[in-house]
Amino acid sequence: MIKLSNVDIAFHIQENGFVSIKDFLLNLGKYSFLKKKYILKDVNLEIKKGECVGLLGKNGSGKSTLLRALSGIIEPTKGKIELNGRVAPLLGLGVGLEKELSGTENIKLLCALMGMTSKEIKELMPDIIAFSELGDAVNWQVKRYSTGMMSRLSFSIAIMKNPEILLIDEVLSVGDIGFQRKCLKKVQEIMDMGATVVFVSHSFEEVKRMCSRAVLVNEGKIEHDGTVEEVGEIYHNLFN
Amino acid sequence: MSLISIKSPGFINAVMSLAIKTLKVRYKNSLLGIFWSMLNPLLFLIILYIVFSQVANKNQELNYALYALSGLIFWNFISASILQVLTSFIDNGDILKSVNLHPVAFPFAAMLAAIFNLLLSFIPFFIILFFVGYDLNWSIISIIPYIIVTSVFITGLGMLLGTLNVYFRDIQLLWTTIMPAFFYFTPIAYPITLIPEKFRWLIKLNPFYYFIDSIHQIFHDGIFPSLENICVMLALSIAAIYIGYAIFIKLRKGFISNI
Repeated sequence: MIKLSNVDIAFHIQENGFVSIKDFLLNLGKYSFLKKKYILKDVNLEIKKGECVGLLGKNGSGKSTLLRALSGIIEPTKGKIELNGRVAPLLGLGVGLEKELSGTENIKLLCALMGMTSKEIKELMPDIIAFSELGDAVNWQVKRYSTGMMSRLSFSIAIMKNPEILLIDEVLSVGDIGFQRKCLKKVQEIMDMGATVVFVSHSFEEVKRMCSRAVLVNEGKIEHDGTVEEVGEIYHNLFN
Repeated sequence: MSLISIKSPGFINAVMSLAIKTLKVRYKNSLLGIFWSMLNPLLFLIILYIVFSQVANKNQELNYALYALSGLIFWNFISASILQVLTSFIDNGDILKSVNLHPVAFPFAAMLAAIFNLLLSFIPFFIILFFVGYDLNWSIISIIPYIIVTSVFITGLGMLLGTLNVYFRDIQLLWTTIMPAFFYFTPIAYPITLIPEKFRWLIKLNPFYYFIDSIHQIFHDGIFPSLENICVMLALSIAAIYIGYAIFIKLRKGFISNI
């Protein structure tokens, strides 16, 4: 179960692009140095166990920030986030992979970063290698991988711990059709085991296939929460 | 929350894995591996030997090569590891944004990698030390608590500077500019007796003096670090880790939007 009550997320950002002390001193007093910018404002959302919810919205509307907040990477400025269950990380394409090291070494590294103990990693290793379909390539340095191979590796690592809450940030649209289908099938499997899935995508078709419920995020607020068809229509109207 | 914090069972494994990764990457494609970490101090030693040869000859008590080399090795350790801890948040920006690991893991891992690196470099270091006339004695065991205390100091200082560096990248540039000045301001490759007595208090304002002087006591004089050095080092370490951690906790919420 995931429950957000009155969640605000604000960043202090350097609106005028100060990155050095010189700029900072020269402009002191002219502008206020750090501006508080609200990325999410007063978000209320409840997702039940076993539900699959698609997040739709324009670029920069706050979808990824919402996912980061759900995974515990960002703490809310105000409000409360309640969440029960093991969360899979948001591994974007190639994130955290060390290009000089081999596929196997990267699996060990990323699993460790996700908080697994070395015993758990040893147990999961064959499954991860099998799912990634990399074959002998797991022993290559990752710098010799193609883009598709890298994302297959990332996705296989993220998904293998059988997470109870799966947050997906547009990572499914990589790899060839065969691997995409396999990923969707695996997500379905995880859902069947009772996991909660929150799914960010710009592809309305994908959301429609996977989810029964959709949420439209616009300018940091939840604009609509309802069936996929309803939300899809409003989403498409945003661009007209 | 679901953050993997210091208390979580997987935290230590995460820190270890990051540290091992750093070392693996550093020596991946190099033939001489760890021996590179000796080449820089040895080259420096030759230059300094020429510069300070007058002093070296005048003072009968001083084994200049032993004195300067031990100082240089530990100075390299201190200055390099401060920089690695300092840049650890920015270096791991991608991971910080996508994995719910407590960001304190990054400075810890950077420090751990630096310690491993130091321990590995002990192999060539001791060979050369014996070559320049080091007498092995009991005071060497004090190197273990010394490394622990020094690492706490470095982690604290690096975490403080690293946190500020996320907001102002000048910190890193400023630090890399200041460190070479500290090399000459600290009696690493010259004895403190070279400084006139009335100016020595100035040297003693420099925190690095105590860490290097202890090393000279252990390796050159063959004695345990003096009580004064131990007290000052302990005080500095506790102050550094306390302030560094407090500032880090206060400012870490803004990391994601500023990296």
